[in-house]
This record gives sequence, structure tokens and C-alpha cells, in this order.
Amino acid sequence: MRLLTGLALQNLGRRKARSFLLVAAVAIGSGIVFTGATLMRSIDDSMAVGFSRLGADMMVVPDGTLTNITAALLTVEPTDLVLDADTLDKARLASLGRVAPQKIVRVEHSGIGNHHESADLIGFDPARDFTIQPWLRERLNRELKPGDVILGAGRDAPLGSQLLIFGKPHVVYGKLGRTGVGTHERGVFMSFATLEALAGAMSHHGGPGPAALARGKVTGFLVELAPGATALQARFAILSAVKGVKVVTGDSALSGIRQGLAALLDGMLALVVLMFASTAVMVSVLFSAIITERRTELGLLKAIGARRSQMVGMMIVEAMIATGVGGVLGVALGVLVMHLYERSLVYYLENIGVPFIWLDLPRTVAFAAAAIVLAAAIGALGALYPAWRASRRDAYDLVRGEG
Amino acid sequence: MLACRQLGKSYATERGVVAAVAGVDLEVPAGQFAAIIGRSGSGKSTLMAMIGGLSRPSTGTVKIDGTDLWQLSENALAAFRNEKIGYVFQFASLLPTLRLIDNVTLPAMLGRRRPEADILTRAGRLLERMGLGAYLDAYPAEISAGEQRRVAIARALINDPELLLADEPTSDLDEQTEIEIMDELLTINREVGTTLVLVTHNLALAGRAQQIFHIANGAIVT
Repeated sequence: MRLLTGLALQNLGRRKARSFLLVAAVAIGSGIVFTGATLMRSIDDSMAVGFSRLGADMMVVPDGTLTNITAALLTVEPTDLVLDADTLDKARLASLGRVAPQKIVRVEHSGIGNHHESADLIGFDPARDFTIQPWLRERLNRELKPGDVILGAGRDAPLGSQLLIFGKPHVVYGKLGRTGVGTHERGVFMSFATLEALAGAMSHHGGPGPAALARGKVTGFLVELAPGATALQARFAILSAVKGVKVVTGDSALSGIRQGLAALLDGMLALVVLMFASTAVMVSVLFSAIITERRTELGLLKAIGARRSQMVGMMIVEAMIATGVGGVLGVALGVLVMHLYERSLVYYLENIGVPFIWLDLPRTVAFAAAAIVLAAAIGALGALYPAWRASRRDAYDLVRGEG
Repeated sequence: MLACRQLGKSYATERGVVAAVAGVDLEVPAGQFAAIIGRSGSGKSTLMAMIGGLSRPSTGTVKIDGTDLWQLSENALAAFRNEKIGYVFQFASLLPTLRLIDNVTLPAMLGRRRPEADILTRAGRLLERMGLGAYLDAYPAEISAGEQRRVAIARALINDPELLLADEPTSDLDEQTEIEIMDELLTINREVGTTLVLVTHNLALAGRAQQIFHIANGAIVT
């Protein structure tokens, strides 16, 4: 093996320009494969996380409530209009999946931020929530408990620190990632129990306190459709079963974005497969030419006793070294390209509310290793047939430059 | 030692089947020096290639020490060539990327029957015998054509072959170098007892052989 590797290395070194071009071609191919695969997986993961964060398909609020529809989240403007917390449960609608009730109260002089700054206190039921907790970027290493608050990305306080709200101490349990929605960015989230416990303190600061703080009352519901149900079906079902509500559906552009990204991923996959195939064909053609050029040497090796497996092995080792090195350079090139690509891709995805998440290091390393192994395998595959064909020829024909 | 029976090689061409060698019978006892002579295109090299296990005959058999060469499997034939036959071609036939010492050791390294140190020692001795002891680390391009041919002879001898086949090994060399190379081959034949079969069109060289086979149109005529 050492002898064959030595011969292979010397052969590569003999034609430096050709070897360089081969390595460069494979580097470009494997770079595209590595970059494509990594980006595909990253975008796929980001989409999965991003769309799961979007959560709700529709929102049910009291008729007359102002709503805020964004690409990323359905949010309700704070209002005094409320619904019973069991409104939708009682309706028992088959077209509805998960339902997350929320209370939203806009307060001033709460002690949060500047003195005159208004703040949205958003209450949720941790057991039923599927629209807030998925955005948690960091949190304490324990379950959420009464007295804990979660801060929107626009607010800054260390985890575990104390936050006084209307003079009552709360613990900063976690922080959300950026949602791109103002109410969420500046919001302070807490369980219903924590929010309801503030009712007394708020009424002490003036008036009877917001209606949403009353036990059993909510500002609205974020609703996920049941599998197979359409938004239209659910809307009709809700409106005919529940009086005094309005149904707000999300931005239909989201489905377009999903389809667009899926098409992009399909295109990238096709490109990756095409690159793999064309690189393999190119290596095969190149090694056919290399073997034709070196027929006499191969014949000589056969004449002095090289077995067919040794001849084929030498050519394959030579190809694998060249394409393997190409693979390593391709991965390096891919990492570079991804860093350049990162800004525009991240900007595009985050603009539509889908945070871009790079693949974690172990999987990136696995992808890199796979790209290098794939590149070496392409070399082996590409060289296999011409080498095997040459090894079948009579040594005499090869020595005479025939075959 | 060497026995060929009804050995033949034909090629299919656009103008039909052409017989390069047909019905050759020859025997060379162990340790002898035999010459195959004939004009260009008479089939000498094709016959030599079949004897050396380099070209599969269309008909007939080649036996070396009782082994029917062309009945062996691919790997067995490769091992046989490696172990029993030394071949000197009519061209330099050295690998340009290898040093002289590595070119000489190559057949033994491929055969993997001896320790590397022993192989290197023997290769060094052979090159010294060929007058190239000072060039072990040189590359083929750094020495003359005659010296390259000597290196090829050293390589052919590295595995102590029983049969040394030389196909016009001096055809492109000057007269003086040709004489020196031939003297070297004959010395090996005499001193080591290696059976030597030489293809040549030089009748003076052939005259020194114990047997001469004259080939014309693919057949032995005398």
C-alpha cells in the first residue's frame, strides 16, 4: 500500500498543472455539495423552528378589538374587551387544534423601564401555550413558576435578576428571541397566576384595574387548526358557535414563503446531485485520458508482476488523493462562501420572521467529513472503470501503447 | 526449461484475421542462451511476449519448468512473471518518477516476498555490478540511454529469475554500449545460470547463442 501510495503521489506531482486543475474542479464541486447540504439543512431547521414559533393559524378576540397582523405573529392590541377563558372549550369545535388563551394589559408607571414608559404585560397559560415559549432564547434551568417573568428581546435584564412590577418583586426567568413584533419585543410575559396577582397593585395605582386581570377572563385566543381543517371551515365554525367574537387569520403570504423556500431547497438538492454526477463523469474522463497517457508504464508494471488489483489500486489511490484534497479545499471554500452568504440569507429569512439557525458544530463537522469522503469516493468511482479496463489488457498491448 | 508447442497469435483486422505468429515449437534447456532472429515485423516480439506471459496466445502452450503459463489464473500469472521471469524491453522502460534504486527494487516490492532491507541491499549490489553504484539516488532522466538499459537489466534480475527475456535490448544504443550490455547479459547467463532468450536482428550477437531460432512471417524457419 505504501508503495502504491508513493507511486500515486509521484504521478500526481509529475503533472502539477493537471493535478491542480483536477483538485480545483473537485474543490468547487465538493464545496457546492458541502455548502448546499449545510445550507439546506440549516434552512430546513430554521423553517421548522421558525414556523413552529409562528404557531397560531388564527386568533379569536372580542368583536371590536384592534388586531395586529404581521408576517410572523398574530398579536392582539391591549383592550378592555374580554372573553370567558373557556369560550372555545365549551364550543368543542373539531376544526380547532391547540388553543392558547392570552391576557394582554398595557400599563404605565409599572416600574418597568422609564417612568412614563408603557409596558405590555402578557399573561399566558404555560400548559397550553404554543406561541410564546418556543421563542425562549435563554431561561433559568428550572420550570416556570409563579412570580417569574419572561422578557421580550427588546428588554434587557440578567437571568435570575429581580424585576419590580408595581413594587412587587419578580424573577427574570427567561428572554425571548427577536420576533420582529413590537408588542412581543417590549413585552413582559408571565403566567396567568402571576399576572392576576398584580390586579391588586394595579387597582391601588388608580381605577378598578383592567378587565383582563379578572380570573376566568382572557383578551383572546391564539388558535391552531386541527389537521386537515381549513381556516375558512374553522372561521365559520367559530362564528356560528360563539357570539361576540371576531376571527383573525394570519398573513396568507406565509404559505407562499413556505412554498418558495421549499422550491429553493429542491433546487439546491438538484444542483447538489448534478454537481456530484458531473464531477464523477469529469474525473472518469480525466482518468481515462491519464491512463491512456500512461499505458506503457502500466504495461511495464504488469510485466514485472503487478497484479490487476495493484494496478487498479494505484490508480484509485491516485484519484482518491487528488479528489480527497479537492474535498478538503472544497469544504474550506464552502465555509468561506457561507460566511459571505450568511448576511443576505439571514437578512432575508429574519425579515420574514424566520430566524436563521446555523447547523450545530457536530453536524457541520459531519457534513464536512461526508463531503470529503464523497469527493474521495467520486475519485475512486471515476477512476475505477478506466483503471479496471486498462488492467484487463495484455501487458504487451499496454507496453506498445495500445488498448 | 522453456517449451512452446504450436504457439500462435492472430489479430482480427478490417482485412480479416492476420497471424502474427503461427505454429511455433521451440525448446530451450535451462541455463542456455537462445537467440530469436528475424526481420522487423516477423513476429519476434510477439513470440517473446507470449513466452514472457505478457500476451495471451491464440493457440498453443508455453511451459516454463513444467508450468503451463497460460493456464494460470490472473494473479498466479502475475506472481509467476514477478518471480520467475525477468524482462528487458527494447526501450528504457524505467519509471521516470522513481530513483534508480527504487526502479530496481520495484518488482521485489510488488512481490512482497522479502524484507525491504534485503531488497534494497540486493538492488544496490546489482546497480554496483552494472557500474551505477554512484547513481542510486539519481533519476532516469539524469543518466544515459545505455545506463538506463543497465538499470533495466538490474531490475530484471532483482528477483533472481530463472528466465531472462531480452527483446532487442540494445537496438537504440551505439555499438560500444551494445557490446557492453550484451557482455553483461552473457556473463549473467554463464555465471548465474539464468536461461537467456534474446530477440535481435544482429546476427553477430545471435552467433554467440547456443541456439538460434530464425523466424519469418510468424513461423520458425530454421
